[in-house]
Amino acid sequence: MAHITIEGLGYRYPDAAEETLSDVTLDVPAGEAHALLGASGAGKSTMLALLSGLLRPSRGRVLFDGQDVTPLAARHRNVAQVFQFPVLYDGMNVLKNLTFPLTQRGFTKEAALQRARHIAERLEISELLLRKANDLSLFQKQLVAVGRAIVRPDVALVLLDEPLTAVQPSTKTHLRHVLKEVQRDLHVTMIYVTHDQTEALTFATAISVMANGGLLQTAAAETLYNEPAHEIVAHFVGDPGMNLLDAEVRGGQVYLGEDALGPMSLTDGPVRLGFRAEWVALDAAHGLPGKVLRRRDAGTRQGAVVGVADVSVVGQTIRAAYHGPIGELPRVSVRRFVGFRGGIRVA
Amino acid sequence: MSPENNRAWLGVLPVVLVVAFSGVVPLMTVVNYSVQDILDVHTRFFVGFDWYRETLRDPRFADALLRQVAFSLTVLAIELPLGILVARAIPKGRAFTPLLLVLIALPLLIPWNVVGTIWQIFARGDIGLLGVTLNAVGLEFNYTQNPLHAWLTVVAMDVWHWTSLVVLLAFAGLSSIPAAYYQAAELDNASAWQTFRHVELPKLRGVLIIAVLLRLMDSLMIYTEPFVLTGGGPGNTTTFLSQYLATMAVGQFDLGPAAAFSVIYFLVILLLCWLFYSSVVKRDA
Repeated sequence: MAHITIEGLGYRYPDAAEETLSDVTLDVPAGEAHALLGASGAGKSTMLALLSGLLRPSRGRVLFDGQDVTPLAARHRNVAQVFQFPVLYDGMNVLKNLTFPLTQRGFTKEAALQRARHIAERLEISELLLRKANDLSLFQKQLVAVGRAIVRPDVALVLLDEPLTAVQPSTKTHLRHVLKEVQRDLHVTMIYVTHDQTEALTFATAISVMANGGLLQTAAAETLYNEPAHEIVAHFVGDPGMNLLDAEVRGGQVYLGEDALGPMSLTDGPVRLGFRAEWVALDAAHGLPGKVLRRRDAGTRQGAVVGVADVSVVGQTIRAAYHGPIGELPRVSVRRFVGFRGGIRVA
Repeated sequence: MSPENNRAWLGVLPVVLVVAFSGVVPLMTVVNYSVQDILDVHTRFFVGFDWYRETLRDPRFADALLRQVAFSLTVLAIELPLGILVARAIPKGRAFTPLLLVLIALPLLIPWNVVGTIWQIFARGDIGLLGVTLNAVGLEFNYTQNPLHAWLTVVAMDVWHWTSLVVLLAFAGLSSIPAAYYQAAELDNASAWQTFRHVELPKLRGVLIIAVLLRLMDSLMIYTEPFVLTGGGPGNTTTFLSQYLATMAVGQFDLGPAAAFSVIYFLVILLLCWLFYSSVVKRDA
């Protein structure tokens, strides 16, 4: 378990005009569960390949415990990976699959067997040890793949590339819990790539949000939710994402059309206003006139938003936490908001 | 049973007819011949299993069978590893890859008697490129006189003719292995051999079983190419089962013994393929 430092990392695929990944700097402390969150095409997989050493960066450095591993080939980095679908050696039984990464790195057969049995016990797959990898269910296979990744006691970094993709929905939660638990117990540095924010938020202590080949923000889930550094983060994180409206700052007050919403310490000019559904107060004593258009069921994600409604306010539609009936004409006020200029949060 | 159900049999009828006329009827005709001594169209005697006994006691049959099995095992032992080796060397997903595959497959498109003719000329000591070259380096190569040279030439011809099939099958198998398997092996610090042994070979298993079955069956039935190349000589040293059978049936018109021979020949091929297949399947279970 190493401390991972990424400095100004950039990668351009051969024949590509632009960099797929540009200027990524990131620090992952030893033993941390870190998530890379982003839509497909954000550069997450490229980032993984650069970390594992399957790709060489065009620019920048990767350091494990302060040691520059950029020039090292994948096999010399002592990195393990769990892929989107279970990758096992079909011809071997589960035990052999688990000992192989160890014996390949100089562990004696006895030490490898002991460690493999220990890991199998931890993952509750001991009864599968003598089964052929090919005969297992997808879920069991992926468990074994996780076992293979964490079986090396000195592994520097474990990469997880959307490891729940192939697993049935009913077993996803189980596998996620197992991952989280072994990560905590074994203090393995893990980087978990996903486009699913629920997976990222439940697994990781720190989350990096990626978009368009760049890293937008690295923070704990709470911070990402309440203080997104970038418009894309505001929109991407949370369900529903932040309301983003065009507003204007005049004399320290932010205006939506002709109506003032509250103070904002910014120079005069246009601003992109962001606020969560639950930061909206309907039925306030004063505020803007509004109309509830329709109700949506948003579930119970972050911030315990239970009911969400589309609300029309000065010609724009926003989402607000709401439990009442449709068509009422409440007064709408926004308790809290953030402001973006050029995509970056400025207030 | 309702009429609707009965009418469904009509759907199967074409297949039944085709199988009957292509397989069952000819086979039963042969079985019919094999238990009779046919002197002419009107004079025939039932002889039971006499022809079978005679064939099995015939030392030339035993020799031909031994040669046949030796030949099949030899070409399999060469074509399979060579085919895999070539398939691994073909770069995946390049612009020229399809062209390369077509070029490699060319021998498969050549009519079998032409393959024999090509090698018959290619290996000749007086005008053939191969024969002349070998003679020039002092090997005194002559496949019409020297049994070993004849064997080597027949084997070389078969390897040239059929390795492409193994290459194509193996390449298809290799192309279907996701890159993640190679990446996992790399992260495990697996050597090139281990990657082949533990990643590629298990994934190729299915196509290789097909390759072995096809090559086993085909090589056991080989006729045209050695017939054109060596005519079974020198002596009988490259006379394989089918050629001996043809001599008997067409050359001497011994229909009864030839039919018994055919049935035994058929059973030998069936047995060998079944032995191979069942041993493979049993290991799976």
